[in-house]
Amino acid sequence: MSNQIAILLAVLLFPGGVFALAFGLAMKGVDRRVAARLQSRVGPPLLQPFFDIIKLGFKRTMVPAAANETVFLYTPLVGVVAMLVAAALVPITSVYAPDAAIGNLLVLLYLLMIPGIVLMIAGSASGSPYGAIGFSREMALMIAYEGPLVLIAAAVAIRTGMGMGGWATFSLNDIVAYQQAHGSFLFDPVMWPAVAAFCFFYPANVGIVPFDIPEAETEVLEGPLLEYSGPVLALFKIMSALKKVVVLGLGIALFFPAAPAGIVGGFLVWLVKMAVMMLVGITAVRLSMGRMRIDQAFVFFLKWPLLLAVASLAVVVVV
Amino acid sequence: MGLIPNFKNIATRSPWIYRINAGSCNGCDVEMATTALIPRYDIERLGCQYCGSPKHADIVLISGPLTVRVKDAVLRMYEEIPDPKVTVAVGVCPISGGIFRESYAVLAPIDQYIPIDVNVPGCPPRPQAIIAGVAKAIAIWRERL
Ligand code: SF4
Repeated sequence: MSNQIAILLAVLLFPGGVFALAFGLAMKGVDRRVAARLQSRVGPPLLQPFFDIIKLGFKRTMVPAAANETVFLYTPLVGVVAMLVAAALVPITSVYAPDAAIGNLLVLLYLLMIPGIVLMIAGSASGSPYGAIGFSREMALMIAYEGPLVLIAAAVAIRTGMGMGGWATFSLNDIVAYQQAHGSFLFDPVMWPAVAAFCFFYPANVGIVPFDIPEAETEVLEGPLLEYSGPVLALFKIMSALKKVVVLGLGIALFFPAAPAGIVGGFLVWLVKMAVMMLVGITAVRLSMGRMRIDQAFVFFLKWPLLLAVASLAVVVVV
Repeated sequence: MGLIPNFKNIATRSPWIYRINAGSCNGCDVEMATTALIPRYDIERLGCQYCGSPKHADIVLISGPLTVRVKDAVLRMYEEIPDPKVTVAVGVCPISGGIFRESYAVLAPIDQYIPIDVNVPGCPPRPQAIIAGVAKAIAIWRERL
């Protein structure tokens, strides 16, 4: 019973729930601010994403006549809940270790697919042709990047498992503990292809500029989100903020969980790593590139990240 | 119940802007794009953001004299914007038809069809005037929240 309560608290308060939401939105605020500064603008206040969410709470929700109302209104809720649970699965070294019953890499991979699926369902339920275009693009993109992600996860799991004398282990706590004991995978040449593949993967997964093809506002008018307004749109914004926290947190847990003991030190180191991953992998990438076409992105993912991921898996199994 | 007015004040810091071109000559549109996009006038610091979908919009900037051909599309688009919303007419075209006023193809003034809250005259208006118009619109929007 007590560990059910612990899991519930993890999902609702820390590191899921309130904390992940506030942290994700704050990250978005920093991202927009830094982007503005790099373009020598003043930029919005740091709390802008919070203002946006509150604003959306005051707006009316409209359901298009062509939409399936139930699916249209409730799918974003599924995405938010999935991301809240996912945030509770990701360990933060010396601060938070997920309960052994839930802290599993495979579960996390499944949960990470849900926002994409939610966008696809929402797009098609809205009954708008732009939503349908967004649907097909999201699907193509997911097919392209989910493959490398699974291979990366397998490489990490096998590396850890073989190091611990078994075959593969998918427990996130074990993965973190193994790297604490034997050095982070980031400094392990055998894992470098996997690290590189992950660096290609995470900008695509959080949906920023070169890869925000399903929601491109200049071509398909925000695609699946086109018909959404008011509080329901806020749910989508919340979902993507949470997803950012989960994906970056996953990257840290998989490749560079090293941190000093003690809650404060561990948390500060985690914050620094999150900030670096976000500024380099999201803000800088977003500002320096133009949007790809869907066919370019598809081919790109099937070429580099997939090759790297396959290579990493092969190297890990052989070495 | 002091909390709700507070939240309303916060909400006014996030006006999302949508542009409708009702047959404008593009002069006003260029001016609007300039206003928001170039570093010098950066209206993102007011929390403004251009959005691609009318359903996300709070403040509508309408330019152009409303030509006969776009009338239905513009009215439909206006209906798609969820309340509470504020409309700003940019340029003299929506006010009087401007240089197109005697044409058989325009229906200006536009407020015969759409309630206009703020007029920003000029052909095209200066960016500062557009920003002032948006600021006025935000004040009106606060009342409607
Ligand atoms: S007001 Fe002048 S610049 Fe603006 S759309 Fe009309 S003619 Fe063009």
